[in-house]
Order: sequence, then C-alpha cells, then structure tokens
Amino acid sequence: MLPTLTQTLPTWMPRLAFAPHNVVPRGDTLVVVFLRGAADVLNMVVPHGEEAYYQLRPSLGIPHPDDANTKNEERTIDLDGFFGFHPSMRALLDAWQSRQLAIIHACGAPDESRSHFKAMELMERGVEDERGPASGWIGRHLATLNTGNSSPLRAVGMGTRPQRSLSGSVPVSALRSIVDFHLRGDQRALQQMRTALNTVYKDDILGQDTLSIMDTLQTLNPLTYFPSHSAKYPDSEFGLALKQTAMLIKANVGLEVSAIDIGGWDTHFAQGASIGQMANLMEDLADGLAAFHADVQDHMKNLTIVTMSEFGRRASENGSLGTDHGHGSMMMVLGGNVLGGKVHGKWPGLREGQLIGPGDLAVTTDYRDVLSEVLVKRLNNSATDEIFPNYSARLPNVIT
Amino acid sequence: MALTRRDFLKLGAFVAASTALASCAPVYRRLAGNLHLVPWMPLNAHDFMSLNRLTFGPRVEDRARFAEIGLQAFIEEQLAFDSIDDLECELRLSPFKTLNMEANELEGISNQLFDNYDREKIPHELRQATLLRQLYSKRQLYEVMVEFWSDHFNIFIEKGSCFYLKTVDDREVIRKHALGSFRDLVWASAHSPAMLAYLDNQANEKSHPNENYARELMELHTLGVDGGYAQRDVMELARCLTGWTVKEHFWLGDFVFKDDIHDVGIKNILGMTIANAGIKEAEQVIETLAAHPSTARFIATKLTRRLVADEPPRELVEKAAQTFLNTKGDIKAILRVILLDGLPVAQPKYKRPANFVLSALRMLHVETDGVAIHDHLLRMGQSYFNWPMPDGYPDRGGPWQGNLMPRWQFAFELIRNEIKGTKTRLKALMDVSELDDLQDEVDAVSSLLFGAPLASVTRDGLINSVLSAGATEEETLQIVTAGLLASPAFQWR
Repeated sequence: MLPTLTQTLPTWMPRLAFAPHNVVPRGDTLVVVFLRGAADVLNMVVPHGEEAYYQLRPSLGIPHPDDANTKNEERTIDLDGFFGFHPSMRALLDAWQSRQLAIIHACGAPDESRSHFKAMELMERGVEDERGPASGWIGRHLATLNTGNSSPLRAVGMGTRPQRSLSGSVPVSALRSIVDFHLRGDQRALQQMRTALNTVYKDDILGQDTLSIMDTLQTLNPLTYFPSHSAKYPDSEFGLALKQTAMLIKANVGLEVSAIDIGGWDTHFAQGASIGQMANLMEDLADGLAAFHADVQDHMKNLTIVTMSEFGRRASENGSLGTDHGHGSMMMVLGGNVLGGKVHGKWPGLREGQLIGPGDLAVTTDYRDVLSEVLVKRLNNSATDEIFPNYSARLPNVIT
Repeated sequence: MALTRRDFLKLGAFVAASTALASCAPVYRRLAGNLHLVPWMPLNAHDFMSLNRLTFGPRVEDRARFAEIGLQAFIEEQLAFDSIDDLECELRLSPFKTLNMEANELEGISNQLFDNYDREKIPHELRQATLLRQLYSKRQLYEVMVEFWSDHFNIFIEKGSCFYLKTVDDREVIRKHALGSFRDLVWASAHSPAMLAYLDNQANEKSHPNENYARELMELHTLGVDGGYAQRDVMELARCLTGWTVKEHFWLGDFVFKDDIHDVGIKNILGMTIANAGIKEAEQVIETLAAHPSTARFIATKLTRRLVADEPPRELVEKAAQTFLNTKGDIKAILRVILLDGLPVAQPKYKRPANFVLSALRMLHVETDGVAIHDHLLRMGQSYFNWPMPDGYPDRGGPWQGNLMPRWQFAFELIRNEIKGTKTRLKALMDVSELDDLQDEVDAVSSLLFGAPLASVTRDGLINSVLSAGATEEETLQIVTAGLLASPAFQWR
C-alpha cells in the first residue's frame, strides 16, 4: 500500500457516511477480459471424452490425456474426466484446483451472423439486435448502480480506446500505460500546462477526470511495483493490462471495473494444435490470469474476473489447419466466490444432429445469464432488465 | 471560459465580428517571411468545417484558395487531383525506394533485411510516405479518400507477408483507384496478394474451403452485414474463390489462380447458379457484388459518415446510393453528391488520432521528417496499417473519446519543440502578420486552429490564467497555443 494514498483521501473517494439513501455499497471489482476474434474454445477447454471431437479435428485435436503416442506435455490436461485444458492453459490449474475458477462451456449469444463485428457489437451492448440501447452493458451497470464513487478511475478501459461495453452516461478513460500517463517538463512548465488544461477543460468532465487520474497515477510507481506472492506477469500488452489493474486495486483508488482486450483469436489459418500460434495466445492468457490471480490473492474475496469471446469456431477443422467462424463459445469466471473447479452448462455434444448451422457447437447457456449472476450476486446490481433489455436471465449458479 | 464543443459550434457567431475587426487590426496585413505565407483571414464556421473534411486540416494556402474560388470549384479542383502539381511532396518521398518496387523485389530485399534484422524497413517507408503525403500533398481530397479506402479494405501490415505486400496493395489497389470506379477498386482488391494473404485465401482450397476472405468480401467490402446474404452464400463464395492465391515461386508475391486447388462443382450464390468457369466464377460474383443495391447503400452510408456526419442523413445516403447505381460506382460522381449536398449540413466529427495530429501539423505549418510522429499515433491508438481486424479503424467518434492524455502530450511536446525531427515556428508564423501583441497573436493562432479568433473573453481568460502561472509572454503564446491544441474544441472538426 502506498503511504501517500492512505494519508490523504482524494476527494472523489466514496464517502458512504454522507451518502444519499439510494447509494448502495459497491460490490466486487470486476475484470472483463474479451478474447477478440472468436476464440476456438474447443481447443481451450477440450472435450476429450467426446469421440466426435477427434473425428472432426484429425490434425488440430489436442491429444487425449491418456494418448500414449504423444509426449506428455502435448496432451490435454484432464479436469473432470470429460473436459480438459489445452496444455498451454496449465498455469490456470492452481485456480481450478483451489475451486476459484469456473468454466461455462457451450456458452454464448443467440446471434448467428458469424460476423465478428456484429457479434461483438451486440455482445458489448448486451442487446439482442440493433434496436437496443447504444450504450454498453458495463456502461449501463455503472449508470444504474450508485455506489457514491465518483473516482475517475471507477471504470477503466485498458488500452488506447475504451471498450464499447463501457460506453454510457458515465465517462470512462482508456489507460494504456501508467508509466506514460503524465506530461513532460520541469515544475515551472508543468504548472503552466496544468493551468492551461484546467482552463480549457473547466466544464468538461472527461478532461477533469484525466487531470485527476494523472495526479493519482503520479503516486504509483510501476517501476518499483513488485507483484505479491512472486507472481510473474507475461511480458505482453495483456500482462501489462492485468498488472496495472492489480496496481489500481491495491492502491484503492476507486476502481470498480477494468476492461481488457486480448486479440489475435481469429485463427482461420495454421492455428496449431498443442503448440503453435493459438497455443502461444493461450499461454499469454493463462499465464496472465494466473499471475493476476496470485498477485491479488489477498483481494480475491472482492474480485470477479470474467472472460468472454464473440462466438466460437467451427467444430471441424478447415483445410488450412485452422477453423472458420462457428457459434457456441465458453466463458471462464475466476474469483473468491465462484463455484469453481467445475465445468458448468449443458454440453450439447459434437455429433451430427447435435451441431447447428454449418457444423457448430450449440449455445446452451446465454452469456447474459452468467453476467447477470455476477451483477446480481457480486456487484450489488439487480437492474439486469435495464442492463440486458428484453431478456430475462436464468442464473446458471456459478457463484456461491 | 472553458473551450467546449459548444464553443466550437458557436465559433461561427464570432466570425462576423472578427472579420470586421480584421480590416482595421494589424493582424492580417502583410506578405509572409520565410514561411512563404500570405496572412490569413478568418473563415466562417461552415467553410472551415468543409475544409476540414476536404483536407487533413486547412493550411493557409487552402483557406486562401477556398476563399477565392468557393466550395464547388474547390471540390472540382481537388477531384481533378492528377492535374494538381505535387512535386514538392514527391521530392520528400524520393528517399523511399521501396514504394515503387514490385512484390518479388520487395520479397528479395526483405530476405536480405532479415539478415540485418531490419524487417521494419518496408512498413516504415510506407507509414512514412502515408504521413508525409497526408501532411504535404496538395492533393488533399485524394489523400482523404486514400485513407478512407485503406480503412474500408483494411490490411493489418503485421500479418505474415503483408509487411511487404501491403506496399503493392497501397500503390496498385488503393491509390490507383481511390478516385476511380468502385468496381475497379473491389476487383483490384480481390486480386491483391496482400488482401488474399491477410484474409487467408491463400489457404482456401477445394478439399477444405477457408471462408475468411469470402465472408469479409460480402460483409465488409460490398454488401454489408445486413445486405442480404446468408452463411450458405459465404460458403459458396469461398468455393468460387478456391485457388485465388499468391505465387510462391517465379514472380513470387504476384497474384495467381491455381486450377489444381479450385473446386470445380456448381455453386449457388445470392440466387445465382455459377457454372464451372475457373477464375471467372468469383469474378462474375465480384461484378454482381460491385453493382448490388446493398453495396451502393453500404458504400454511400460509409462515405457520408466519413465526410458529413457520424449519423448520416438518410436522404443524402439514398441519393448517393442512387448515384452509385446510375454511374456504376463512379467514386467522383458519388463524392460530388455527398460533398455538395452534405457539407452544408455537416455535423462536427470527433477527430481520430491521425486527424488530430495532421490538423495540428498542417494548420501550424510545422516542418517535420515524420519519424517521431508515429510513436505519438501509436499511443493514441492509430498507427498506420496497424488495425488487426478487417473492419478498419472506427470512423464514429465514440470509440476514440476517453484517451486524452496522449493528445495532450503531443500538443505540448509539439509546441515546445520536443519532438525529434519536428520544428514548430510560432514566431515565424507571427512574423507573417508582423504581430507582437499577445492578444493579436493568440487571435491569429486560434484563427488558424478554429477558423476564426476566439471570443475575447475566452482568449483573455486563457492568456491571463497562463500568465498568472508565472509564464513569460513568449512562454504564454506557446502554452496557450498548446492548450488550444489540447482543448476539447480542437478534438472536433
């Protein structure tokens, strides 16, 4: 903990003692990780108990946990006798075994356009079709839940553009790098710049927020930040985003939501199997999440991490050792209050007649069901009918 | 006192007053010193907005030309881009030898470069050329359209061989047809090795089709996602496109159609039956797609969004789409409709990072080699050819708002001359009009940046706040100018 922040409480910190009646205490900090490009979830959480999986993926299938013909480190890591992790997801085993990681398989959205852009837009807006509200589901969560927290860091989009899911009436800032988030110059020049910015942004909330964020971040020093429990973040944009999220959580600066993207999942070509392009992505994902999990272990009771992707990929591999756009996806929920160590959701199967459309995994759990449960049980927000309009969620019971 | 978006909209109101002022003040008096500029006159808000859509930010000479010949003639002059002498810009590009190389030459030097670990040379030269053209070319509307089509037919330069093939695509597809016919553009793009490599059509074979390019050809390049095709059409078009690939031997990197991996069955697409015809199958579909009413509407919508307003006026879109159909996709004809009808009703648009950076550089006549500017664009989120997904950088303002810090950093570093290879000459700009009074100087700068001077109360408030922070007069002009670049108002165009 940084002494400067505990000694002087910034003015925008929640002050519940003076809060108006309708203010509710904030719930968990939510971290939403979006796998951009439609991740091939069948090779992440592998249904190794399903014979059809290996028939559909003669080259790309991840070898069965008992496959004596392949090296141990290239086999699926069994989780429950039917599903298993891709070997590059090994780092998540700790969280799985400590029952803090739940998996919801065959999870996704009803949209069947198989268009990245349409699917991502609908999912980030949390709507069924174009007619719904233009704001994002997280934006509406922030707008419908008054936690009395007016910190400009209440919700942060890691990267250079705030995610669509964050858009709404509450201004949200993008944060690519804490270490770069300042103006350059000597004290005298900084004073002058600051004055000019204050003047031109006098009536602009986003500008004022940016100035406050600059002040807050100045008290954090990423160069001397040592993750707890000897967590090692991968040296990637994703690793940096998670590490910065951990820093903000520990510095107690009012962070309620952190949105993080990890791209590159559109693997039409040469995605690889146990090793290769997609294995590297999974390693970044799993190592990052595992490092984060270790680093913020002491905050896990008040933290929920969700991963999602716009849709899944075709059950059968294509001719270019890749996979085309499919349907059903998979979500992971990581946190101190998760019914973890379990693959949730009804498994629709991969045999003919079980697949839908051009041969895709069906969706048996709507992604909004999972998010609704997180909102209601962990974020103190029961306004799910506003956050996901025209949808009545059925909570899938993934949280205690 | 704060400069808000509302101020930006209201600026027009100050113009009448400041025009009257200009006639007696010493502000706009004399011919230029070493900048070779004429003193600049205020513009009304709408003309200024028009110029901001037709260029990457009006320079003094653009304002003068616009004032001289008016909107319609200015558009015509810009549309006839090949009669605009652009020697100065071309000279600046002459060091970049890779711009004019064929694919096999590029591949050859990229192999040599691998030994020297300089894989960045080819993409760097293309990025440099793009920036310098946007900054210095007199063919501004042409460059605006090059940017538009580069987004529309997006190629991520970091994917595989795209790092050198994109140079050919930029030259032979985008720049060749940017103001030509849409049909030729989409045709060239479909035969472009960079596009086929980017969207995995290299791997699209009869045994197992790869749908990636087929889908985006319909969804993003022509019909639009709701343009009336289904998953089955995607799969059938993918079959037509089997064998459309890139040469791997002699004349490596060129387009080739490979019969042996082409799927020879009959295909059904959008209700058409496509008979066996090798390469002609997909070409027939491309002709149909390029002339389809959904394509006309989709392209008209996107162009209107780019040039007029984030929420494009429906009637204008319909008219532009009709022009598209009547002229078989003549881009100039479509632009005439959108610009002449649309600019008078244009709405403010939030500047994307490249717009923000370029408008600052152009309006203040900054001299730069461009190299260090790319780092700033990267931090703002819009490095050239760096968008991984095929939909191109977002056009609407929403996604870009909320990342002010790198814009502020750029503004102050630019004006304080802290960007390597980049020189801002505020004093020389002031000498153009022989200014030495701080208020007049700030008026002259804000006229460059906003079309017309600010209201005096806004101006004086800003000047006084900076002076009271202990700045000298010279520092004040700098900090105020940077503050104006950083201001909410300058984020809009």
